[in-house]
This record gives sequence, C-alpha cells and structure tokens, in this order.
Amino acid sequence: MDGHYLGAMNTTAEEYVVPVEYGISSTRMEIDRFIVPTVTIFIALLLFFFMLFPLWSILQLSFFEGGQFGIANFTLANFKKYFTTSYTLNALWHSLYVSVATTIIVTILVFFFAYAMTRTTISGKTFFRNVIMMPLVAPSIIQALALIYLFGRNGLITAHFLKIDWNIYGATGIIVSEVLYCLPHAFVILYTTLSAVDIRLDEAAESLGATPLKVFTRITLPSAKYGIFSAAALTFNLTITDFGNPVVIGADYNVLATEIYAQVTNLYRFDLGATISIILLVPSLMAFILNYYISRKTFAMISGAAKPVIPPSRPLKKISFTIYCCLVSFSIIIIFATVVIGSFVKIWPYDWSLTLSHYKFPSIGGYSAIWTSVWVSIFVGIGGSFITLVAGYVMETRKPFFKQFIYLLSVMPAAIPGLVMGLGYILAFNKPYYFFYGTPWIIVINVIICNFTLGILSSISNLRNIDPSIEEASISLGGDTIKTFFKIIFPLSRVAFFQNFVYFFMRSMTTISAVIFLVSATVHLAAIEIIMLDNDGWTASANAMCTCIIVIVLIMLGILQIVSKKTGTHQEGLVSAL
Amino acid sequence: MSKKLVLENVSKHFGSLIAVNNVSLDIMPGEFLCFLGPSGCGKTTILRMITGFEQVTAGNIIYDGKIINDVIPQKREFGIVFQSYALFPNMTVNQNIAFGLKMRKMPQKLIDERVNEMLGLLGLAGWDTHYPSQLSGGQQQRVALGRALAIKPSVLLLDEPLSALDAKIRVRLRTVIKRLQEELGITMIYVTHDQEEALALADRVVIMRDGEFRQIGSPFDIYKEPKTSFIAEFVGTSNFLTCTKKNGKIQFGRLEFVAANSSDVAEETVYLAIRPENIEIVDVTVPADNCVPSNIVEVEVEVINFLGAVVRITFFLEGEEMFVDLPEKEFEKISLKRKDKVKLYFPPDAFHIYTELFRKLI
Ligand SMILES: Nc1ncnc2c1ncn2[C@@H]1O[C@H](COP(=O)(O)OP(=O)(O)O)[C@@H](O)[C@H]1O
Ligand SMILES: [Mg+2]
Repeated sequence: MDGHYLGAMNTTAEEYVVPVEYGISSTRMEIDRFIVPTVTIFIALLLFFFMLFPLWSILQLSFFEGGQFGIANFTLANFKKYFTTSYTLNALWHSLYVSVATTIIVTILVFFFAYAMTRTTISGKTFFRNVIMMPLVAPSIIQALALIYLFGRNGLITAHFLKIDWNIYGATGIIVSEVLYCLPHAFVILYTTLSAVDIRLDEAAESLGATPLKVFTRITLPSAKYGIFSAAALTFNLTITDFGNPVVIGADYNVLATEIYAQVTNLYRFDLGATISIILLVPSLMAFILNYYISRKTFAMISGAAKPVIPPSRPLKKISFTIYCCLVSFSIIIIFATVVIGSFVKIWPYDWSLTLSHYKFPSIGGYSAIWTSVWVSIFVGIGGSFITLVAGYVMETRKPFFKQFIYLLSVMPAAIPGLVMGLGYILAFNKPYYFFYGTPWIIVINVIICNFTLGILSSISNLRNIDPSIEEASISLGGDTIKTFFKIIFPLSRVAFFQNFVYFFMRSMTTISAVIFLVSATVHLAAIEIIMLDNDGWTASANAMCTCIIVIVLIMLGILQIVSKKTGTHQEGLVSAL
Repeated sequence: MSKKLVLENVSKHFGSLIAVNNVSLDIMPGEFLCFLGPSGCGKTTILRMITGFEQVTAGNIIYDGKIINDVIPQKREFGIVFQSYALFPNMTVNQNIAFGLKMRKMPQKLIDERVNEMLGLLGLAGWDTHYPSQLSGGQQQRVALGRALAIKPSVLLLDEPLSALDAKIRVRLRTVIKRLQEELGITMIYVTHDQEEALALADRVVIMRDGEFRQIGSPFDIYKEPKTSFIAEFVGTSNFLTCTKKNGKIQFGRLEFVAANSSDVAEETVYLAIRPENIEIVDVTVPADNCVPSNIVEVEVEVINFLGAVVRITFFLEGEEMFVDLPEKEFEKISLKRKDKVKLYFPPDAFHIYTELFRKLI
C-alpha cells in the first residue's frame, strides 16, 4: 500500500518553492504581539477596579475619618465604637458561635455520609449523592423558610402536631439551616478525599487483626485529615459569611452579616458597616488561607492514588449506613418539599387546598424580577465563563509577564464575603460618573468577580488537559493568538465552557449576599425578592419565588446534562457538574 | 527551496540547568539531519529554538544568511511534526491539512488542490472527511505530515514523530518520510532517541549528550568509528574490556591482547571496545592461520539467543559478560549448544581504544 502513493507523487524538488504571495500577513502578526499583553492588562485592570478598589473603599471608610485617606485622618474610632457597643459586639460572638457549631456538626455529618459513599457497598449511592448536592440549586434562604414552616411560631410540627410553644428562631434556627446549606460543599471535599485514600490500607490493618474501631481511628481518620480540615474551613467560611438564612430565621439574634446590612440599610451608618465588614473579613480570610494551604496538600495526596474495589460491607454496617444516609437525605428533601408545597397551598398549615395565588407576586418586582435574574444570570454565565477561559488560556499557555500576580488576584475573590464586596461596590461606585451604577450591569460584574476564583481554576484545569503541542502546531502553521483561540482552544473547551456557564448561571440565580446592596428601586432580582416578600409577611409568595429559582436552575442543569451526553463527556449527576 | 540553516554557538539555560551548551552546526539545504541522544540531552530544546518556541540564551540561529533569533514562529515558515501528532481533534483530515493554507488566506480553489495533492502524497485519499479520532496512529501521523508539508515549509522539523507508534508501522512510516524527503528535496531535521531510526534515515547524525554535540558524521562513520565509549555503547552494541597497559602490551585480566593503534595512548588504564559482529570464530569465520595467536581465546557458551538474521552468543571472559553475533547461516554450520567450548578471535583492528568508560545505568 505504501508503494502505491509514493509512485504517484507529482511534486518534485523543482516545483517545491515557498509561495510568497500566500505568506503570513505581517500586519496581523504585528497586531498579534499586542494581544496577550492587552488581555493580561485588561484582566488585571478588571480585578483591580472591581475587586481591589471596592475593598480599598471599605478600608478607607473604616480606618479614616470621613473616609478621607491621609495620615492625619487615621482613626480607630469606628472599631472602638464597635467593640464598646455590646449589641454590635455580640454579633461577633454570635457569628463565631453559630459558625463553630455548624462547622463541627457539618464536618461530622458529612464525613460519615462520604464514608458511606466511598467505603461501604450500600445501594442507592447515586440517589444519595444527588440529594446531598441539592442545596446548591437554591438560594441559601430556602433552609430558613422551610424550618419556619416546620418549626416556627405557626410551624407544622411545633404548633400543629406537638402543640408546644417552642420555636426555632435564633441561634438554633441559624445553625440548623446553615448545616443543611453547607452539606454539599463539605461533601465534595470529603468525597474526593475519601475516594482518593487507598482503601487497601484499611483491609491490610484488618487482616492484621485490628478491630474495626481501631482501623477507623488509626487509619481512616488520619489519612483523611487534610480533607476534614479543608471541609471544616470551608464550612466555617460559608456560615460566617452567609446572609440569607440568618436574616430570615435569626430574629433578634444578630450576626456579623445581618449587622452589616442593618447598619447600612436601616441606620445609614456606612462607616460602621464598613468596620464590621473588616471584622468579618478577618475570620473568613483566615479560614480561606487555611483551606488554600490544606487543599494544596490534599491534591498532592490525591494524585496517582489507586481506586480499588470496595469489599462487601457486613449487613449491620450496610443497614446502619443506609438508615443514616436516608435520614440526611430526608432532611434535605423535606426542606425542598416544604418550600415547594408551601408555595401551592392556601394557608400553611391550616388550609391545604391547592392554589396558584401565591404565584401572583404582590411585590413590585414579581415576575420582572425573575426575568431580570435570568437575563443577568445568562450574561454572568457567558461573561464569566468566557473571561475566565480567556484569562486561563493567556496565563497557562502564553505565560505573560506577571502571571503569578494575576493568579494571586484571581484567587482572592474566593476569600472575600459577597456581602463585603457588595458594600464595597456601593462605596466605590455610587458616584454619578459611574454610569453602570444602579443598572443590572453592576450586578453582572459583581457576580462574575465574586465567583471568579472557581471559574478560573476550572478553566485552567480544563486547559491543562489539552496537549500543548496542539497550540504549537497551530502557531507553526501561522495561526495567531485570536485564530488559535477561536478555531482550536475554544472548540476543544466547549463542554468545560458550558459547565462553567452553568456554574456562573447557578451562582447568579441563587446568590443573595453578593447582590443585596446592588438591587435598587428599578433593578429587582428574584433571590432578593424572596427576602423582601418574607420581610413584608408574604411568606408563601417567598416560597413561590424560591421555587421559581429552583425550577430555572434545574432546567439549566438538565440542558447541561443533555449537552454533555451529546458531546460524549461522561457525567455523574450533580457532583461532576460542579 | 530550502536554504542553509546555521546554529552558531547556541546555548539554552533553564535557570541553573544548561539544556544546550554552546553548539554550532551548518545544516545544508536538502539535508536529512538527525539529532540522536538519550532522553533529556537537549534534542527537543534545540528543535524548539529552531522553531522559535524557545529563545536562545546565547548564540545565533541563522537561516539563509539572516539571524532569525527574534523572528516569531509564525513567520519562520518551518513545518513541525510532533510526537503526539497534535492534530486538531475538532477538524476533519481535510480541515487539518488546510489549516495553514487558510491562515495564509489562500483562495479556496488552490487550497483544495493542495489538500488533494497532500492526501495523494501520503496515501490518505478517501479519508479526508474523517476526524483524527477515527484514524489509526499511523494514519494520524501521516495527516500531521501532510498538514506540515501543505504550507510547503522551507524546513521540516520532526520531534520523535514515530515513537508513539508500534514497531511495524514505525518502520513503514520511516520509509515514507525518507522517500518524501528525497522526492521533495526539503531539509529535514529529525529528533530521535532510537539509534536504529537515526542510522536508517539520516544523511548526517549528530550525537548529543548533556546538551552538547559529541559526534557529527554519516551513519556509517558513527557506527564504524564511534569517538567515545558512550557512542560505541549507544549506537549499536559494544563489548567493553577494561585493560591495563604495560610495556606496550595490553592486559585484560590474565589475558594479553594486541590492539591496533594502542601505542597512541599514554594512559595506563584503557578500555577496548569491540562490536559483537566483529568477533570471529576460529576455523568457522576465520582460518586460524590468519590470526594473531594472543588474540584467540577459548570460552564457554552461556546463552544462545536466536535473533533472526543473527544469533547472539553470550559468554564470560575474565568474569565480564560479552556477546558475539554470528550470521545465522554460519551458526547452522557449527550448531553450538550451551556449555560448549568455542574459540573466539578478537581481530586487533576491530578494537576501538578509549581512555574513559561510559557506564550504563541498568
Ligand atoms: N521549559 C523548560 N523548563 C525547564 N527545564 C526544561 C524545559 N524544557 C526542557 N528542560 C530541561 O532541559 C533538558 C533537556 O530537555 P529536552 O530538550 O526536552 O531533552 P530531550 O528532548 O533530548 O529528551 C532536560 O533536563 C529538561 O528537563
Ligand atoms: Mg524530547
């Protein structure tokens, strides 16, 4: 066969000349020189202007008299006022208390749940894994709404079944709702850790005669310790920065996040709001840094680990873990069911006849808020996944001059609570010449920046899967940066791009804390409407609004599943979609 | 037409690591040049400096008399073939080959012509609408060759293009590349760590080690006259005898050998290298009368490996493991068995004498 075509060769050495008339355009290559620096500078400016500048505004307002930067104006008066007013100081203790409690509970709960998924042979694992991921599709307010319907003053269980006076408002309510909110986040980490640790260690120890308890405490726990710390740090961070749940179920029990909001919205004390933001930033920053270092160690451990078959678990172990997982799943399902059912019944828990009246939203936002949210989320999705892909591409393959610096800027957003960033946006941009202030565009930018870290990390890990020679092949054939990106890199990143799109879309649909300060009389968002409706006593409509958000996010996830299936990428429920 | 490509005192440092250390070379138009060396010796780095993906730390890369150190890869008009094929998975064979032409804004009609020419040249007719994932490794590498040649590059650079393929296809594609180069008259620079491939393909071989050029020459010269013991070991196979030199006589353990040119060497410890096929069997491949008596030794056969055209016999000499290769036809005549005694002859002029010994890490 080889001989055939060699005989048919019709190009000879004489004909072989470089056709100059079809060379590579010099102008295009001159322009190409500027592409990478331009993109790098653009991303640096974006993060400077929309992340560092707002943060700086907060620092300025909290540490300088009248917010005027200057040595003479430096003052600790705001902090003194904060720490000497017992009501505001309490918010710090409250925040620490609920966060520590939530962290301990979540870490233990999720550890055994992840253990069941990775170390036992119980059936229904796919179901359990999907259920524990459910909280991600709803705003972190659904837990509080449901708990009030179940255990509130008119709660189904407290007032109706048990007929007791006790209710869940306050610290208990916050802790329970935060626990139910943080489950999926902690689960992703512990599931990855426990799948990576070699199960044969356990077997080896058991075969040497160690009791199951000894194996667990001496082998399983220590080998997962980085994952445990990492999950704990993340839970702590999520809880202390959450706004939605405590504002609904906290009642008089103020925490830092609700206190910032109260100072700014009710008392117009921007300076105190900024000061409390700094105080909130400290523990959440510490948790973030801890998590950052730990997760680096975790990943070092994960690489190259084997995935052996799990030996069949003993019946008793299987039954108890099945019951345990059912209980955890049941709690999550109850939360969702309560809110969804609550949105369709006339008067919970007295009149169970079905109605759609709660979906006629009484507030000014109503359906227009949902549409705004969807449009904003689509722009966040496209913009966020596109910018992070371009940034990842430039940083990974073109090694720009200040790569390390841009990388540092890119991971910072994960350390900054959404509420703090939102407040920073008001302080920085509430000036007439920032034309985008008060429009949905500032929300789009804010949500993209707040979720920049995960977006860019997943873009980078996706780009690392593309053979670097492919990029070089394109260049050697005369491809410039833009052509290489759009003709090759982008098509090859399609699935990852869409996953990122859905991630940004979901975050944008469900976030409360990042945007609560940015909605206005003219710009309404669905997730914020839930708080407004609940605040005005339209609890059932708040549930209805929450249901709408869940449905929209689920539709988007469904599309992701279909798209990924079509392109042949293997998906395993929600876990891999995130 | 290809022009002369010159490396002039080229060095490349990665931090404190010196990947390429002050090398110079003239690559002639239409030459098939192979860089051969063990993994990590800097072959890829040299190639990447020629393509423009790495900047030289010092020295010049000169093409057609012009220094091209700062010319971007797109403007060098060099074709590259990668070990991993690096085809664009989202494009068909046709689109892959046309990519470089599209970048040059060639009219569609000419592109189609050129693509068809390439498909014919590489035996890919009929595969044009397939995607790379639907092709075998050998076919993919042909597409990669077609894609690189479609732009009619002035130089074609190939970085271990065949090492991901299995042995049979590798040998076949080797012939394809050699024929292409001869027919097109294009300069090809080929990197490999496979000595057999280098010897089979190249007009000239550059042996590299630790970022330096150790020997440059035709495959024949390199095989026949390896400059260092490392090359003697790396290219082909050699037996090494660690000897001491006393009063002009060369002693290997209790044995004494005569070696040609041994008087040129001043050192006391010398290393004799002899290729397995150069050792003779007395009265079989060489009559005893023609032998220098001291170079005849009797050994016991340890292992016999049938390798096809040759039979390799392993024996021990003064405790050192050594090989002799015997053409299969000769072996038939004597039908040796394990533990048989056999008389070997080491011709004085078959020895290469080295003053250092490269020790292979096993
Ligand atoms: N980008 C780089 N950064 C640092 N070191 C490198 C880089 N590329 C190659 N090296 C080092 O340079 C040496 C030569 O590498 P290379 O040219 O790839 O060798 P070869 O292709 O001969 O196997 C190796 O030690 C390798 O680790
Ligand atoms: Mg290499």
